[in-house]
Amino acid sequence: MTITRRTMLTTGAAAMAAYTAGLPGVRAQSSQVVVGTWGGDYGQLLGDLIDKPIMKTKGGIEVLQDIANADPRKTKLLAEKQSRRGTMDVACLSDSDMYLTAQQDLFEPVTADKVSRMNAVFPNLQKAYAIPHIYSAQVVLYNPNKVNPAPKGFADLWDPKWRGRVGFSDILYSANTVAAALAGGGSLSNYGPSQKKLMELRSLDAKIYPSNEALAAALKSEEVWITVMWLARGFMWKKAGIPLEHVVPSEGAPAIVFEASIPKNSRNKDNAFKYLNAMLEPQAQIAFADKMGYVPTVKDAALPPDLAKQINLNEAERARLLQPDYDYAVKNNAAILDFWNKQFKA
Amino acid sequence: MAVLIVPASLLVLGLLVAPMLLMLRISLNQFSPTQMMIEAMSADNYIRAVTDPYYQQVLGTTLGIALLCTLLTLILGFPAAYWLARIESRWKSLITILTLFPLLVGNVVRSAGWMALLGNDGLINATLLWLGIISAPLKLMYTPQAVVIGIIAVVLPYMILTLASVIESIPRSVEEAAANLGARPGTVFRRVVLPLALPGVAAGSILVFVLCMNTYATAILLGGPQFKMMAPAVYDQFIRANNWPFGATLAFILLAITMIFTIVGSIGIARRYKR
Amino acid sequence: MAQLKLSNLAKHFGAAVAVEHVDLEVRDGELVALLGPSGCGKTTTLRMVAGFVEPTAGQILIGGKDVTHAPPYARDTGMVFQSYALFPHMSVAQNVAFGLEMRRMGRAEREQGVLEALKLVKLDHLAERLPRELSGGQQQRVALARALAVNPSVFLLDEPLSNLDAKLRSEVRLQIRSLQQRLGLTTLIVTHDQEEALTMADRLVVMDRGKVLQVGTAEELYERPANAFVAGFVGRCNLISGFVDPGGVFRTDWGGEFAVPQESAPGKAIFALRPERVALRPGTGHGIPGRISAITYLGSLSEYHVDVSGNSFLVSMPPPPNDSPLRCLKIGDQVSLTWDVAAVRLLPFEPSSNQGEEP
Repeated sequence: MTITRRTMLTTGAAAMAAYTAGLPGVRAQSSQVVVGTWGGDYGQLLGDLIDKPIMKTKGGIEVLQDIANADPRKTKLLAEKQSRRGTMDVACLSDSDMYLTAQQDLFEPVTADKVSRMNAVFPNLQKAYAIPHIYSAQVVLYNPNKVNPAPKGFADLWDPKWRGRVGFSDILYSANTVAAALAGGGSLSNYGPSQKKLMELRSLDAKIYPSNEALAAALKSEEVWITVMWLARGFMWKKAGIPLEHVVPSEGAPAIVFEASIPKNSRNKDNAFKYLNAMLEPQAQIAFADKMGYVPTVKDAALPPDLAKQINLNEAERARLLQPDYDYAVKNNAAILDFWNKQFKA
Repeated sequence: MAVLIVPASLLVLGLLVAPMLLMLRISLNQFSPTQMMIEAMSADNYIRAVTDPYYQQVLGTTLGIALLCTLLTLILGFPAAYWLARIESRWKSLITILTLFPLLVGNVVRSAGWMALLGNDGLINATLLWLGIISAPLKLMYTPQAVVIGIIAVVLPYMILTLASVIESIPRSVEEAAANLGARPGTVFRRVVLPLALPGVAAGSILVFVLCMNTYATAILLGGPQFKMMAPAVYDQFIRANNWPFGATLAFILLAITMIFTIVGSIGIARRYKR
Repeated sequence: MAQLKLSNLAKHFGAAVAVEHVDLEVRDGELVALLGPSGCGKTTTLRMVAGFVEPTAGQILIGGKDVTHAPPYARDTGMVFQSYALFPHMSVAQNVAFGLEMRRMGRAEREQGVLEALKLVKLDHLAERLPRELSGGQQQRVALARALAVNPSVFLLDEPLSNLDAKLRSEVRLQIRSLQQRLGLTTLIVTHDQEEALTMADRLVVMDRGKVLQVGTAEELYERPANAFVAGFVGRCNLISGFVDPGGVFRTDWGGEFAVPQESAPGKAIFALRPERVALRPGTGHGIPGRISAITYLGSLSEYHVDVSGNSFLVSMPPPPNDSPLRCLKIGDQVSLTWDVAAVRLLPFEPSSNQGEEP
């Protein structure tokens, strides 16, 4: 028997739901909209660029942020599935989390009738259950003072010249595995070659850091010179003074998209659709690009040339963007984590 | 009066027992990447956990670190607790509060401090390099030693305060009587202070052992990605692999091992104390 | 030879002087009591002898050996603590055996020693009990046995009876004394209870504010106190400050005139007279007139508090026979007081004297 929504509630998540659903104590009224989002820069920017100027001032709608990390938010969405009246009107998640959650048939369809700005979204980012808010690509970051000539793709990490100078963030095990798969001739639907490539890298003394911040510190102190990272984060690190350049890998650059969707049991769906529309407004998109280095998902958000050069992909690079195979990724996640922990890190 | 314990009992029941039963149930389910869980009644997860050499090693590391840290904390904490219990100073309560001071800082913040101290460009390495004692930074971070130091820094106050309250209840005259009868300080400690402090040794060690077994932030931040203890492994399964059944299984194994060691340890000490 | 000798012993805690200029010799087999109110320095003196307090100055000799700076475990004293300080995790026998173990005595010899010590205090049948399973009196005897078992050069007792009830106290007092005499123990005992000191000790040392005021037998202290403090602390005493006029007249501060020996040296002095040396007659007549303010019947004694010009005067005597006129005395009655001038002692005047009470 599979976990239906009933059994999910009765066994797994009931207690979790009791915790998480109760916490913010937010009850949306008709002139409100509750947005489940991350705190930090992302939540702050949503507040400054969308909640206040667009929703409150222009639309007269009060935005309440329900701040949590992705995991409690996923759990809450699943746990509230059965309830008629949900506590969230808009849910923000990464594309793979959103995919996993959408498998449970949780979200309202998002169409151009309801969200007119969908027409401006790049076609390859469009989904039936969510809007793409911002995106970035997985690239190779390198220290130009040390790594010469510039690398071309993921495969350059296996160059014996950089023995002991390749660093990874432990929490991005999944992205790192994908890079290894691509370097070994695999694809986003075939991680097969990744195991052999990772073990090779292990014998080349690749360094693993417990967090993105620890990796950044190691790049800054020039302990390691080359890594795999989201372009957006690379942009922020560069701004912070770390000597870094990026290259969009010749093998292709897997995309990460941060998305937003509307739970079916939202009590303010009209406001929620307005919110999704506002997230796609050009000026908001440009501001996110400027502050966080994520690329607009709409065609009509023109970035200043200087900024565009740093974070945007040119036509040739854009052609190398790879669409994730979510189904494959979700099914293999546990296995690649196991391999990462037990073999690669051992 | 019995009515007064009802709220606490309900709290324990609701916040501790119920989630644990739920976890136990989840641990018997099967994992599915797309559907999260498939309901089942199977011991497969437990069999996998105890037969997998990787998890055997993780459990071994966890137990080893916890036992070592408990022992070191006891050895380091006893003299400090004795001193704290015996000083007759008007600053005594202030010193007691200062002992608690490290606990005011969370584990993460404290570990960040240790990172700044032990890192390759941290204070210790920078000083040694500057003095010319070493030519390349020593690897201090991401070592089991760093974890042991980090854990001890967290748990030492618990040990000291537990021991001090018990030592305080040992009358000074009992020690004087032993000295008067010809016992040297070492003998006074071994024959009189230590046996009388055993309840505190037991309580402090159990408290510290349980805390060590469940070390999370310190293990991750100071042990580095290659260093695995049980609590981070549980987190990995729940959050990263999305494998709730196996995560629950590991959590239950951790709980069971901790309980077994705690019970065996306290029975052992109780028996010694009775004698 | 003196088994225990203290010379010019002193202890200062910072600026506070706890003990000063203590000179004392305790002879072999003698029991000497340190007597004084709380805070007089007697316990500090005892603890210096045991080695728990480091003297600021002076010297301690035990059996002729200088132990002034020796650690407690090297002094060969046997101490009985006020709280008994038994080892709660050891049986009675283990408690008593502890000191013998520390002296590396063989097992058989040790068991023999434990048995003998317990027999001395009649507790051999409770050897396997834990201290908490014993009564207070029994615990006290275990503490005695534990100290006796090691056959110490000096036996130290710190208020050993203060935790016992009154009836038990007088019983144990006699037991300790007879044990001490039978075994010939050189003993130093600390007490604040003058009755305890008078009944047990060969000699008493009266201390006040860190100083020794007088050393002597009970009789010497009672009959010939060196000052008003000793007179007031050892037994009871009427103490009146005033001035001796030439010719055997003592003029009190409040103007009364008492007869004192003719040859008394003139000058400021304290008039001391034991209550049992005062005779009392109903009505006015010969003697000092006064008025009864309280009568206390104590069985073998009756005490009369007589108000003399606003000052209380204590008179004690055996209860008068039934036909005596004293029998009918009641509060408020006029009486007159007389005494034999030979019973009067004139003590040096001390401005701060307060008859044994703390200020």
